[in-house]
Amino acid sequence: MYKKVMKSFGKSVIGGSIAALMLAGSMTSAMAAWPERPVTLIVPWSAGGGTDATGRMIGSLLEKELGQPFNVVNRTGGSGVVGHSAIANAKPDGYTVGVITVEIGMMHWAGLTELTGADYTPIALYNADASSLLVRADSPWESAQDLIDAVKADPGAHKSSGTGQGGIWHLALAGMLNSADISPDASPWVPSQGAAPGLQELVSEGVDIVTCSIVEASALVDAGKVKALALMNDVRLDAYPDVPTLKEDAGLDWQMAAWRGIGGPKDMPEEVVTTLTAALEKVWNSAEFQEFMNGRGFGLVWKSGDDFATWMSDSDASLGEVMQAVGMAK
Amino acid sequence: MDSILQAFMLVLDIKVLGVMLASALFGLFVGSIPGLTATMAAALLIPFTFFMEPVPAIAAIVTTVAMAIFAGDIPGALLRIPGTPASAAYCDEAYAMTRKGQAETALGVSLVCSAIGGILGSAVLAMTAPVLAEFAIKFSSFEYFWLACLGLSCAVVVSSGSTLKGFVSLLIGLFIATIGIDVTAGHPRFTFGSVEMMGGISFIPAMIGMFAISEVMRYVAAPGSQQAAPQQPIRNVFKGIGSILSRYKLNVARGGVIGAVVGILPGAGADIAAWIAFAMSKRFSREPEKFGTGHVEGLVDAGTANNAGVAGAWIPALVFGIPGDSITAIVIGVLYMKGMNPGPTVFMNQPELINAVFIVFFLANLALIPLGFLAIRLSRRILYVPRKVLIPIILMFCVVGSFAINNTVFGISVMLVMGVLAYVMESNGFPVAPTILGIVLGTMLESNFMSSMIKADGEFSGFFSRPIAATLGVIVILIWIIPLVRLLVKLVRKPQTA
Amino acid sequence: MQLNDAVTGLVLVIFALAEIAYSSTFPALHGQAYGPSLFPILIGCGLLACGLMLIARGLRERRSAGAENAPWLRWGDWAQDPAMRINMMLIPGSLIAYILLSDFIGFIPLCIVLLSLLLYRLGSSLGASVLYAVVVTIVLQLLFSRVLLVPLPGGITSALFR
Repeated sequence: MYKKVMKSFGKSVIGGSIAALMLAGSMTSAMAAWPERPVTLIVPWSAGGGTDATGRMIGSLLEKELGQPFNVVNRTGGSGVVGHSAIANAKPDGYTVGVITVEIGMMHWAGLTELTGADYTPIALYNADASSLLVRADSPWESAQDLIDAVKADPGAHKSSGTGQGGIWHLALAGMLNSADISPDASPWVPSQGAAPGLQELVSEGVDIVTCSIVEASALVDAGKVKALALMNDVRLDAYPDVPTLKEDAGLDWQMAAWRGIGGPKDMPEEVVTTLTAALEKVWNSAEFQEFMNGRGFGLVWKSGDDFATWMSDSDASLGEVMQAVGMAK
Repeated sequence: MDSILQAFMLVLDIKVLGVMLASALFGLFVGSIPGLTATMAAALLIPFTFFMEPVPAIAAIVTTVAMAIFAGDIPGALLRIPGTPASAAYCDEAYAMTRKGQAETALGVSLVCSAIGGILGSAVLAMTAPVLAEFAIKFSSFEYFWLACLGLSCAVVVSSGSTLKGFVSLLIGLFIATIGIDVTAGHPRFTFGSVEMMGGISFIPAMIGMFAISEVMRYVAAPGSQQAAPQQPIRNVFKGIGSILSRYKLNVARGGVIGAVVGILPGAGADIAAWIAFAMSKRFSREPEKFGTGHVEGLVDAGTANNAGVAGAWIPALVFGIPGDSITAIVIGVLYMKGMNPGPTVFMNQPELINAVFIVFFLANLALIPLGFLAIRLSRRILYVPRKVLIPIILMFCVVGSFAINNTVFGISVMLVMGVLAYVMESNGFPVAPTILGIVLGTMLESNFMSSMIKADGEFSGFFSRPIAATLGVIVILIWIIPLVRLLVKLVRKPQTA
Repeated sequence: MQLNDAVTGLVLVIFALAEIAYSSTFPALHGQAYGPSLFPILIGCGLLACGLMLIARGLRERRSAGAENAPWLRWGDWAQDPAMRINMMLIPGSLIAYILLSDFIGFIPLCIVLLSLLLYRLGSSLGASVLYAVVVTIVLQLLFSRVLLVPLPGGITSALFR
């Protein structure tokens, strides 16, 4: 496949005459079933992140499945608004779909956009990662309870980070404090451009607490720089059996996860949705995809069609509730 | 020793070498097209690396990126369109050399310096990765804030002509960087309800506009003024370039060190390294007046620095899984997929794989020299195309290039507005380089300032409360105060001497 | 296009004042003394100061001997020649045309038309212009959409090209 690209590159350099021939040869008039030309897969986050990595994996596996390239296009910026708008506003012909992330249920509460999960044709949810509570390895806190007590005892002293102001991981921490009857401002949030810079702040002793998915911190956990106190999930993870859930540790029911799914603009043709869902389910079940997701520690979840729509509206409602409680909703 | 031998066996495989050659050509090609960055080249490779063994997969990315960073210099020197952001710092200088008929010298020097920089960076990576990574993760927002200030002070150095106009230009760049959703509070600024503006002004289309579109407009306004002087080919490559390098060997070393150090720091990549190196070169040059007229010295520093930075960025990525730049963010994904989970353990458990990565770095940078010369020889022909034909073609390339970065015509609008702005600025003696630097550093400056203020509960003393931050802070303040004091002394003395 | 420094300064001052006024409407950061308005306002103040200095410099320049009647604004030589005036407008014009029409018309026809026009206006013969335009367009289309997977707009021609 790689060679194919290099070969066509060579040809295009040789000259316009050969190029013209190739172009003429590539013209077709026959209309076949979807997809009959390359599909654009919009990723609302930048190249290199978790959403991008999973999107590209799905794109290349869908290409194998459906025989047309799925071109990943990063439409970044605006806390995800730009990319999510691009998916919702695309022509609903099936040739533009995208990765929808948990932020779709947050942006409209923050007053950034009118878009909600209901503005998409839901295809399928493929991943959800619970938030974890991380501190420096030399931190005196040994459990989430220690941390909560410390924040309660000395409001404002322990700063936290992990993403931008009002981002998903900020909400995870604010919601946890809220459910423990502490003001969400008791641990001031230091905005960062993602989990990695937030973790850097943690290790460099800039902040004391980071909330993000455990996947994003795994290298630092393995290196003995950072320890995970608790997981905001209903069960423990297979990859980290020693990390308790928040319920076990501090008796709090609070849970928060970031999720990713595939969706398209509203009113996509029925047959496209059927074909795509079937192909995606095959991809999700494939050994390659499972191995890739497990290898990096991404949580595997599958919900298609209406189940995905219900998931999105549930997520939207609970996020709105928390955002109102912690004063982030406009 | 055993693991090094094993590593050589892994790399010196016909399949790995084949992949490297193909990736090299691909990297040269992508890097030389404006609008397509080294990051994009790496992202395009991802689907192919899925189906490769770990060593060829990493080799493909390393080789592609090394080639792309150099190849960005080619359109920068020949047409004043930096192919990648890492070439922006010295694009004008290289283009000025082309107009003097020294295109091949400019490109030859930047090629050899790129290779040397890459090898220096690789050596740093191979020998000191775990130690330096410990240093790199000591940087918090306080340190980054001072680093951004240090970068900004380069603006005054790199701008030629009036200092006042240089400042205006820098402020325009900083203003452009504030457009979009602000990083601290999530409030949309200067977006006027446009969703596209919420994402901010993309750097690549802005850069293409400011360099290339303004150049196109200058040609149309005064055709005939721009035909490049007849080019002097370099007969003996090693004699021509060798003499320049031996004259500036200190610059090579300095560029390499700056590149590696800046590259290691997560969040400051090859492009910032190139700016700082270029400014240092001018500041400490014996002939600073020659800068801006097509002087090779700055190219030596900055050309070395950006390739050294590429290797440096791998250090925190390999040791702690913290990406040094957007390219290593992609690399981390590939490492996980190949079971080489970043972290100190990979150095202990899979030393042969890590050593193979280092060997690939050296090989890729060595291969840069012959392949790069081939690329220079081929691309030089572009200068023989009459300008009246070349200019419209450049325009269309820029259109497609700025579209490609986000696949939206908004990029073309940005390019147009910035192009017209740069044309007006340059006709009135405002340098454009500080604007570009302002766009690059604006967000870094603001977000780290805000984060620091939140962490220090609004106390300015926080900026001096940590050893590295305090040191950097004092350096920055000295850099800014000394010229002011000198100016004041001059003003006070003037009446007496007159 | 050359402006007297005083004119540039005035433009900067007006821009800076508007920018500061607009920035001060930004909401403050929750529980913080500084918010998203801080940097824009600082930048605005900087531009204001630089603008005022430029005005002073421009006026001083005009007062200096021999420059009393120097124009505030001087267009370049191109503005005297009608053909060049059109060419100069054609650069932003063709970019705006591309921005507005590319989605509807599609990359291939639009690029051929714009390129032929520009090449012809800049002095190539009509036949050569069209030939170059077609070849360059095809190369660009193949390079970007085939090799680099950039989805160039298909427009009305998307039914013809896969």
